[in-house]
Amino acid sequence: MISNDTALMAHLLRRAGFGASRDELERYLEMGYDGAVEALLNPSDPGNMPDDLIRRYHVEQSELRDLAGSAAYWMYRMISTSSPMEEKIALFYHSLFATGYAKLNQARCLLNQVDMFRRSGLESFEDLLLELSKDPAMILWLDNNENHGTAVNENYGRELLELFSMGIGNYTEDDVKECARAFTGWTLGNAEYMSIRAAKDSIWPYGRIAWHFEYRDEDHDDGEKTFLGETGRFNGEEIIAIIVKQESTARFLATRLFQFFAADEVTKAGEQVINEMMATYFSSGYQVRGMLRTLFHSDHFKSEDARFTRVKAPAEMVVGAIRMAGKYQNPVLGIEKVSNTMLYMGQGLLQPPSVEGWHEGLEWINSGALVERVNFAAKELSDVKSPGVRSIINRLESSSEGGVLDPADLADGCLDLLGPIQVSDETRSVLVNYAARNGDLDLNGHQPGDEAEQRVGNMLRLVAATKEYQLA
Amino acid sequence: MSTQTQSPSITLDYVKTIGIVNNGLNGRGFANPYDTAVDGDGRIYVLNRCDPARASAIRVGICTIDEEYLGEFGRGNGAGDGQFVWVVAMALAGDGRLFITDEYNHRVTIYNTSGAYLSHWGVPGSGDGELNGPAGIAIDSSGNVIVVDQHNARIQKFSADGKLIAIWGSFGSGEGQFNLPWGVAVDQHDNVYVCDWRNDRIQKFTNDGEFLAVFGESGHGEGQFQRPTSVAIDPEGFIYVADWGNERVQVLGPDGSFQLLLRGQATASKWAEDYFASNPEEKAERDVANLHPDLPAHLNTPYHISSQTEPFFWGPVSVSLDHQGRLYVAETNRHRFQVYQKR
Repeated sequence: MISNDTALMAHLLRRAGFGASRDELERYLEMGYDGAVEALLNPSDPGNMPDDLIRRYHVEQSELRDLAGSAAYWMYRMISTSSPMEEKIALFYHSLFATGYAKLNQARCLLNQVDMFRRSGLESFEDLLLELSKDPAMILWLDNNENHGTAVNENYGRELLELFSMGIGNYTEDDVKECARAFTGWTLGNAEYMSIRAAKDSIWPYGRIAWHFEYRDEDHDDGEKTFLGETGRFNGEEIIAIIVKQESTARFLATRLFQFFAADEVTKAGEQVINEMMATYFSSGYQVRGMLRTLFHSDHFKSEDARFTRVKAPAEMVVGAIRMAGKYQNPVLGIEKVSNTMLYMGQGLLQPPSVEGWHEGLEWINSGALVERVNFAAKELSDVKSPGVRSIINRLESSSEGGVLDPADLADGCLDLLGPIQVSDETRSVLVNYAARNGDLDLNGHQPGDEAEQRVGNMLRLVAATKEYQLA
Repeated sequence: MSTQTQSPSITLDYVKTIGIVNNGLNGRGFANPYDTAVDGDGRIYVLNRCDPARASAIRVGICTIDEEYLGEFGRGNGAGDGQFVWVVAMALAGDGRLFITDEYNHRVTIYNTSGAYLSHWGVPGSGDGELNGPAGIAIDSSGNVIVVDQHNARIQKFSADGKLIAIWGSFGSGEGQFNLPWGVAVDQHDNVYVCDWRNDRIQKFTNDGEFLAVFGESGHGEGQFQRPTSVAIDPEGFIYVADWGNERVQVLGPDGSFQLLLRGQATASKWAEDYFASNPEEKAERDVANLHPDLPAHLNTPYHISSQTEPFFWGPVSVSLDHQGRLYVAETNRHRFQVYQKR
């Protein structure tokens, strides 16, 4: 019988992380739920694969010139981190503040942006918007390098309001214009040279040159502006200070956080949680960490109704399966092919489809993507030589009576150790019947890759193909 | 910008930069160079590690100090004869044989300088003479071949025809121990210097593996290292170290005392000038750009500074010397090497 504590902790770790192996789950259970929430929301040393090792073996991840190596570099981080919330919050903002490689041709700076999400993503939303506005990848992505005191480009100012904070319908066209004026002069160093290199995808003569923020006072429109009812000679900082005071901003952020961490669909009970998150937003001085703490402690989030109500994004699917299998813990040839797999599932890291990011939830699932998802997870989880699957086999053996599992034990044990995953009675019957074809499983004296172990691998493969495994 | 770097006992003058990104599968330019070697005729051999997108063309390129590109050789990506996967380093023997390590195939592949494949040594393993991730390689005055056996944390010395002569080292941080060692070189007296990569130090041994000295420690200061990858010793005993993690080169005296450091001062190669001649609009913007920018605090690391400061070394993975006192510093991430002249 799976305890509610275990199921709840697994739920938390699917949302605030990438799921958990049983070893990892037990470490969090020792902390208790409150302690686990705090550990996740206050990341310490992520203990991820060190950069020196990655750079030594992967020249493409040292230079980070091309997309494939750069996406793989982030993959390593997600696979090996012991602070998964850092990566989840980075993924959240990577879709919310979607910035893509195709226009920039500068992956190092996209990864610098991801670093910024890790560094500031759980802190004050005001500070985060300020960093976002100074992020060179965002500046070039939304043309703020073309936003001059004498010739305003509204692109960033518009998206800041529409897609990054308040949402459409909560400001006027005049507000957009005034907002854009306030961000004139916010550009990147060597903007003219870097923009021509980006436009030409120039890697010559000596590879990419990374970017940094530059403020050009002489290019800034210092005149009086009226924005959301307030008037002054606003610069970007003052505009952001006004934006974050708005209730619409609180609702926008709370809703997006809820949909990413709690449920694809917002129910009435979900609305109540969003209201509580908005209250925390204001009472905490716009702290994202506080909003997520409110969410994770809400009765709604902790209820059984909230479990398995989100379709796993491809990043969650791929990274979760690899972490469960315990693979790719050291630099290996071919890691970029794994990150490419995510692209085939509809989520290419560093290449969101547009400034709107990915459309999540059920839109992750189409027939092609589903086949990719099932095939990938089934392949990883049926690899009985991988450390994570070996651990599952050993746990099954030690929890059985005399090393022998009947078909129900095998099916239930695999469902438990891969989650626990709650499946329908019908799905469970299919799994048990499949196991029964070969009778009881005797794991006594099992050896790596032998027939007994392969039976476990086959059951894990089948669990990976269930509908429930596609959900977080 | 100064073109001269000096201490009371050694002066290095910047000479030039050679290289350009080669985004294709052959021809002029380099693709993630990992090592250089110079023969008696002044021909410069450049080992191109290549990223996965260009792995099918892993190769040795050849050019001159006058930036004439002479051609390349190699048999592509794989485990077949003469093929490579993850090449690391080269050593040129007096008889014209070029020894190339491959840390993925666990072997040493031998070509001649005309580009003909000759043979390869090594089988994967940890037994005597077996290799696990061979990295640095050097040849002593007797023609013996010294190989850094990276994952076995040891040095193996072979005769010119591949017979095992000596083994020393084990995993650890004590004297004579290694943690993922990389580069190796010999001096005029055939002493052996090893880049003990993850221990951030250089260890010096006799030719038979007796420990003599250790130079450096972890850090960013003078005489300190972050993951040294390559070492070379000139006839006067000065020790040149590719201080890779600090994105710089340091020169130590024969006693290991700090002498000077180079951060890099690359200029446009002839090939780069050719590129700009064809792309004047890009050149015009480059001419007014600041290639030595001040960076915000969160980017204040050697890696990030180098990623934004094109004249600086970025990924200075190898130091090599020729017989005319020139120092060649290969930069993986910039697809070029910088040349310095010792006075």
